Amino acid sequence: MGKIWAIARNTIAQAMRMKIAAAVIVLLLILLPMMSMIMIGDGTLLGKLQTFSSYGLSLVGLLLSILTIAVSTFTLSDELKRQQIFLVVTKPVRRWQIIMGKFLGVVVLDIILLIFFSGVIYGLTVSVPRLLEVADDEKAIADDQFFTAREGIKVALDIQAAAERARERFKKLKEEKGRDWPPLKMAEKTGIEERMTEIEVLSIFVQEEMVREQSVEPGRGRVWDFKDIRPWSEPNTMVFVRFKLDSSVAPPDGVIYGLWSVGNLPAYQRGDGSLTTPIYNVERNSPTRTSQEFFVPADAVTQDNFLGVGFVNNPNLNPSSVTIQELEVLYKVGTFGGNFVRAALLMLVRLVFLAALGIALTTWLSFPVAVLVCLVIFSAGLVNGFIVDSIDGLGAGIGQAYMFTVKPLLMLLPRFDDNYNPAGYVVSGRIIRWLFLLKAAGETIGIKSLLLLVLGMLVFRRREVAKSSV
Amino acid sequence: MSTDMTENQFAIETVALTKIFPDWWGRQRVIAVDNLNLQIRTGEIYGFLGPNGSGKTTTIKMMLNLLHPTRGGATVLGGDSADAAISSRIGYLPEESYLYRYLTAYETLDFYGRLFGLPGSVRKERIETLLDMVGLSGAGNRQVGTFSKGMARRIGLAQALINDPDLLILDEPTSGMDPMGTRQIKDLLVELGKRGKTILLCSHLLAEVEDICDRIGIMYGGKMQVEGSVKNLLELTGKTQIQTSHLNENSLVKIQTLLRQENCEFEITHPMDRLETLFVRTVNKAQQEQQATSGVQAGSGISGFLAEREIVRQPGILDKLVAGQAETQIDKIRGDTETVAVTPQKAEPQQDAELLRKLATAKTDPIAETLKPQQAKSVEAVKIDILSRLVGKDKNADGSTTPTDSKAAGE
Repeated sequence: MGKIWAIARNTIAQAMRMKIAAAVIVLLLILLPMMSMIMIGDGTLLGKLQTFSSYGLSLVGLLLSILTIAVSTFTLSDELKRQQIFLVVTKPVRRWQIIMGKFLGVVVLDIILLIFFSGVIYGLTVSVPRLLEVADDEKAIADDQFFTAREGIKVALDIQAAAERARERFKKLKEEKGRDWPPLKMAEKTGIEERMTEIEVLSIFVQEEMVREQSVEPGRGRVWDFKDIRPWSEPNTMVFVRFKLDSSVAPPDGVIYGLWSVGNLPAYQRGDGSLTTPIYNVERNSPTRTSQEFFVPADAVTQDNFLGVGFVNNPNLNPSSVTIQELEVLYKVGTFGGNFVRAALLMLVRLVFLAALGIALTTWLSFPVAVLVCLVIFSAGLVNGFIVDSIDGLGAGIGQAYMFTVKPLLMLLPRFDDNYNPAGYVVSGRIIRWLFLLKAAGETIGIKSLLLLVLGMLVFRRREVAKSSV
Repeated sequence: MSTDMTENQFAIETVALTKIFPDWWGRQRVIAVDNLNLQIRTGEIYGFLGPNGSGKTTTIKMMLNLLHPTRGGATVLGGDSADAAISSRIGYLPEESYLYRYLTAYETLDFYGRLFGLPGSVRKERIETLLDMVGLSGAGNRQVGTFSKGMARRIGLAQALINDPDLLILDEPTSGMDPMGTRQIKDLLVELGKRGKTILLCSHLLAEVEDICDRIGIMYGGKMQVEGSVKNLLELTGKTQIQTSHLNENSLVKIQTLLRQENCEFEITHPMDRLETLFVRTVNKAQQEQQATSGVQAGSGISGFLAEREIVRQPGILDKLVAGQAETQIDKIRGDTETVAVTPQKAEPQQDAELLRKLATAKTDPIAETLKPQQAKSVEAVKIDILSRLVGKDKNADGSTTPTDSKAAGE
């Protein structure tokens, strides 16, 4: 361990002399405080906090990722190039200890920088409401929606049922048309055009059914059930309903008028006296296509952790059917500070992977090539979901061959997007569960990074560190 | 003498060691090292010579696992140098110093000390003595990147010694060093040899190699061309050299007459001082006057910790010499001497001996004990100089030794 640590310390000393390290540190030290002052968001305190934390965390994440890639690909390749490695490998140090030492050095450097810069962001975020003169209700909103750690439960779309309905419709259509297939005169009713293949028609039906699943016709109402809602048992706890509205015909003022009911709605409908919790009605005028939130007291949640959310499409105010997207019920389950630490740890998971990647690659590749490969993999990680989905779609036709060749490789791609993006959690005040964090760490560090490091060690063990020269 | 030597373990042994470098296409190969069978005995100072590109460095890199042999193999200290137990006993100085420019001299040595797993207190003590030894105690907190090549070389040497190695592999240790440094390294290597260290020395400074090595090998084209002890390879057995203190005209005429009677070709000259001696003398004088310098200072002899382990060498020649004759001869060898080079014509060995006896008796007054300028040099340095010569001769003492000039002059 002493030897590994000696190499780690030397790696840190080496990294701190790199110009990119100084550039990243100086840049962040200037940009972060500036951003906290300049960024306004939508003008509210919440908007300002969300904008700053989003950009701040993303910037720190991006710059530290780039720094990690630069340092991890530089440290070993430079020692090989300058032949300083001669004096290390000829000492009683095993080759794997050199790799581990380099890895540890980069990770320790990352931890130090991450603690420092996430500390700066945290400090700035917390002090923004104190420094600004804002109304108390704005502060309350910020406390409820930003300085918190909320669990969110989304409506699960019943895709199976939608697909089933689409198939029914398709069958019916085919029977109706009979000999007229392919349908030539359907354009007036749906998006179906001439000369569409059966699969294309079917997929349009599926999409339509999916939209229908989320939409509410004028004059109708709809109730969604949420189970297993366990808000913090503290006074004045709120439950938040988050949604995004859209309508088939754009409303003239861009606003959709909705009437929401929250509570044990099934018991209310039954009217058999089993209703013990209050029902809250909220009238809400929401602009289309942006995420909106309202809240009701948490006592609307029943003893067995159930909550119903209903929406009525008022035909007098809305001319057309309304689609309710991304409907979600949120409730506080943790503190902002704790969540922020977990967000930083999630970011560290990413950096650790990049450190392992860079070092493993340079046991085999030269510095410029390794940097390029790292950047490609890093970018791929940022859009992992998209890549996996698109290649999955293409490869599905190949079947077995695909399953055993490309698919396992895709699994090795790191995931930095969606759920693995720490900024997203902080911005929307959502909790990062320890379990999720451990799972992410286990996958990314325990499996992917370890695999890379072991591969690197194997290559480095066999490798001639001296160049051929006569 | 060779029987008990071969039973000894070899410090380094290569068997049919071969390295072939392919070109980019994998064709038109270059043979860097060709079937090399090298055997370096424990406790030996071995001079590994050859022109640039003759395969010396490649051989060393294969010994140390920096390159993989194409064929054959190398055993170092009885095992594989990748083995931690073996590599912890090796000190290696590559052909260039390859240090971390951003570390200070102290941090550099500390880093390598840690790699050897030395505990903190031992590291601290050794680093201080080593910095002192290589004359850089004043520059310990300077970054190695600011060092001149010679100074970096000194740090390189210090790192090779931090583990008190049994085997030292030095690839041109004195390249870029000033003559003082070269001299110090030379003295140091001789001293290390005396302490039982095995040294593999690669150098282009032939005078250096000649002075300190027990055996040398000359490589060319990846093959060993000549190998043997320095004495065996270099001695001109067909010539005899006699050095005396200054002779007056009368004695010279007598000797000339005698030599003519013996039918010898001869020439009478005054021996030259070596430029190295003059340089060392001048700098020593300046250092004694404590003139200011931003460069290296005088090193203070060998580090104490390097004596910790004593290897028992079979021959023990040096030790005997050091204990016995050396002391008595130190003052006698150098002085105002004349060199008489004698080439015997059809002379038998017996006649040579007779001639020497005559010469010795003819000069009744032995060598005057005048104070010589060389004595400004440290006694230690002189001792080592003599020692190296003596070693060369005595190691060859298999009975047929011709009486040597220095002995003749001394007796």
